[in-house]
Amino acid sequence: MTGIEAVGSRSRINATAAVRAYLATCGIVLLLMMLLGLTMRLAQAQWIDVEPNLFYVVMTMHGAGMVGIAGLGGAAVMWHFVRRYVPVSTAIFVANLVFFLIGAALILGAGFIGGFAGAWTFLYPLPGHSGGLWSANGAAAYMAGLLVIGVGFLLLHLDIARGIISIYGGLGAGLGVKQAFGFAPEKDGPPPAVAAATMAAISNVIGIVVGAVVLILSLVNLYAPSFTFNTLAAKNLIYYFGHTFINVTIYMAVIAVYEILPVYTHRAWKTNRVFYLAWVLSTLMVLTVYPHHLLMDFAMPTSILVAGQIISWLSGLPVLLVTAFGALTNVYRSGLKWDAAAGLVFMGVAGWAIGIIPAVADGTIPVNSVMHNTQWVPGHFHTYLLLGMMAMMLGFMTYLAGPKSPSHLAPAGVWLYLIGGTTFVLAFLAAGSASVPRRYAVHLPAWLAYDRAGSIGASLAVAGALILIVRFLVSLRSPIDATP
Amino acid sequence: MTRGFALLLGLVLCVGVGALAWATEGFRVITSQGARQLSIARHPIPVPNVRLVDQDGHTFSFADYRGRTILVDFIYTRCPRLCGVLGDDFRQAFSRSDAKNDRVAFLSISFDRADDRDTLRFYADRYAAKTPGWRVAMPCDAHGLSTLLQTFGITVISDGMGGFVHDGTIYLVDESGRLARILDPGTRIAAGHP
Amino acid sequence: MNTTRALVPVAWGMLWIARAPLEHEMALHMAVQLPLLIGVGYMLATFLRPYEPRWFAESDWLGIPGLLLVVFATSFWMLPRMLDLALSEPWIDSAKFASLPLLAGLPLGSSWPRMPGLGRAFLWANFIPKLGAIGGLYLAAPTRLCAYYRLDQQAAAGIALIAVAIVLGTCWSVIVFVGSPPFWSRAGIRRQRARHEILEAGE
Repeated sequence: MTGIEAVGSRSRINATAAVRAYLATCGIVLLLMMLLGLTMRLAQAQWIDVEPNLFYVVMTMHGAGMVGIAGLGGAAVMWHFVRRYVPVSTAIFVANLVFFLIGAALILGAGFIGGFAGAWTFLYPLPGHSGGLWSANGAAAYMAGLLVIGVGFLLLHLDIARGIISIYGGLGAGLGVKQAFGFAPEKDGPPPAVAAATMAAISNVIGIVVGAVVLILSLVNLYAPSFTFNTLAAKNLIYYFGHTFINVTIYMAVIAVYEILPVYTHRAWKTNRVFYLAWVLSTLMVLTVYPHHLLMDFAMPTSILVAGQIISWLSGLPVLLVTAFGALTNVYRSGLKWDAAAGLVFMGVAGWAIGIIPAVADGTIPVNSVMHNTQWVPGHFHTYLLLGMMAMMLGFMTYLAGPKSPSHLAPAGVWLYLIGGTTFVLAFLAAGSASVPRRYAVHLPAWLAYDRAGSIGASLAVAGALILIVRFLVSLRSPIDATP
Repeated sequence: MTRGFALLLGLVLCVGVGALAWATEGFRVITSQGARQLSIARHPIPVPNVRLVDQDGHTFSFADYRGRTILVDFIYTRCPRLCGVLGDDFRQAFSRSDAKNDRVAFLSISFDRADDRDTLRFYADRYAAKTPGWRVAMPCDAHGLSTLLQTFGITVISDGMGGFVHDGTIYLVDESGRLARILDPGTRIAAGHP
Repeated sequence: MNTTRALVPVAWGMLWIARAPLEHEMALHMAVQLPLLIGVGYMLATFLRPYEPRWFAESDWLGIPGLLLVVFATSFWMLPRMLDLALSEPWIDSAKFASLPLLAGLPLGSSWPRMPGLGRAFLWANFIPKLGAIGGLYLAAPTRLCAYYRLDQQAAAGIALIAVAIVLGTCWSVIVFVGSPPFWSRAGIRRQRARHEILEAGE
């Protein structure tokens, strides 16, 4: 391992400091965004008063912020581990954080100063048709913020791809395509972190450049309203970008499972032909699954929607199955001592697996046309992101904080996060199956029970996250060498 | 990285942004039509006093319209496509306009030298155009035509099938005989405005 | 060497002579004439490299100013309004024939080698989809953007640009996905050796 680590160790101290900076940013933004989410639930529960106009600003900021830090947290996990195997640039990694912070400032300004409330998906032509709620400049600041963040991520993924190509010769080899199809021995395949980083690079580079196109077109439309383009094409491009970006976060975060569990079990993560095949298939499907966001758009060609439905049933499964199976076999009878980090990482796999179930339901056309505008959908993606992706990221954070940090509170944090998060997503799913609509600022009395249960769950989850994040932030006082 | 880098970068940025700003009239237009529209709205230009002949065979000139606003479109009578839309639009607007209200006049000008009085008459009858409220006319000579095309900024190209491709744009000549506005392409005046 | 050098003015002159037929079709104008003019400048850059002033080479850090100039010059001449003006105003067409080789092709040829691989990848990744998007807009636009081209010519130009984007995108994907085989290129051999050393050190 030492020889391989030497590849990327030109400035090791800086690198760890950069990862810490990423995680500190993620932790603080995550807390703020969770509080925004809690605000929405409390407002729907009628425990606090929030102006509907402000509600939609909060919703937009919560969406954009959470997607952003999911990407940032995933990138931190990925970069930290992948640099053990391929040469990557710390400068580019830091540059991405700088771009992110500039973009985040623009987005927050767009929302809380400019009043932009067009949802994080900025569906064309909504940003230009605010009905007087926000100015063209507000919408432009939001979209410019996304563009700036996109530039950073594009550079980061391209740099990692460059690193992978410099060692493995091509992205195909980085993904383990030869091993997947039996053209090369399994033992020569790339480590799981490299395969995952390759998939993230392929998917996000394509997703981000597509997003940049639609963002630039929308920006031109804002200032030159006579320039218009096809709204359905715009929606396709936006969801291509949006789906890919948020979906890839879990494939970056899952590297934490591959790298952290083996530290606890003292067993290497086994890669085999099925593992590589799973990653190849999931790569292809992540790139083609987005039409499941357009199942309600009757103008879409039916064939694309049917393909979207089928791919969305399958898309997450290959990697999920090999990861869940791998995690279980890795842990089984290994005698590992559970702690907060291992627990969170393991919870991440479970949350991901459970989150797939409502996703499959929503990806089915007849269900979708009834359920898509209900809280079933936020239920699905909160399961997947809160209990899956974020759990992995918090696990990584806890792992980096190390055992020296005050650890007696950590398990309490994990339990609060797990119980609160589960209550919170179940409230969404239950409300969704009772046809409670999503994205409503004001709720009917009949829906309040769900909202109140959700609010209580959300409060507990925030408390749990607060413990874990503060613990991490406190650990930053210790010198970098102390971290594993 | 040297100080020269900052200088060079600044120079490229200034020149590049300046050139793009020039070409797009300050980032407002990307087409020549748009540029022309913007320039006319800002600086109306006098229409030369070209002599034309209408569907009744009478000659007239732009000076005869002093004090009235004219809505002008450019057509050719054999046109199988766009001129039909323009003609219908003018017919609806014309039929609704008050006969006594002579503040607004309609004028359809053919740019096809193959047109003559008979074809103008035919076109006029098809859309119920009546002088003097709506004249279907053509310039008396080739020089007059090219002067008009140049003034109004009209590019007519062959459609490859013996006809022409042109914009279905409507032009507004104000009371003092100046080309004052070019309506957005696709604007239909029968919808109410102006 | 001298014959290849002579190619630059010959190509330049031939493009000038052929400008009427090339500019007659929007697709040829955008997807053939403009790239060839840039190509002339690119060739020129390979011959002028020994004479490049040192201050310029030093100031053109990572090739960023030079390639920014390329972006500006190419965007400028792809504006529908400039396509129109190039057809209606002979002096604008002359300006195009001078500026595309000198302000796009020449800086491309001199700055591209200075740009690190990551920057080149970034530019490719942005250029290819945007070319396709412009093509898509031309293809779908319900109105004419240029006064001198018919709607069908505009759509054909859109298809041409999309085709170029697809070809470039495919080439780029194949190169990054498969990579150059080790026996094929010097970079490949270097990579093979590096990987071998890493594996040996690891054992």
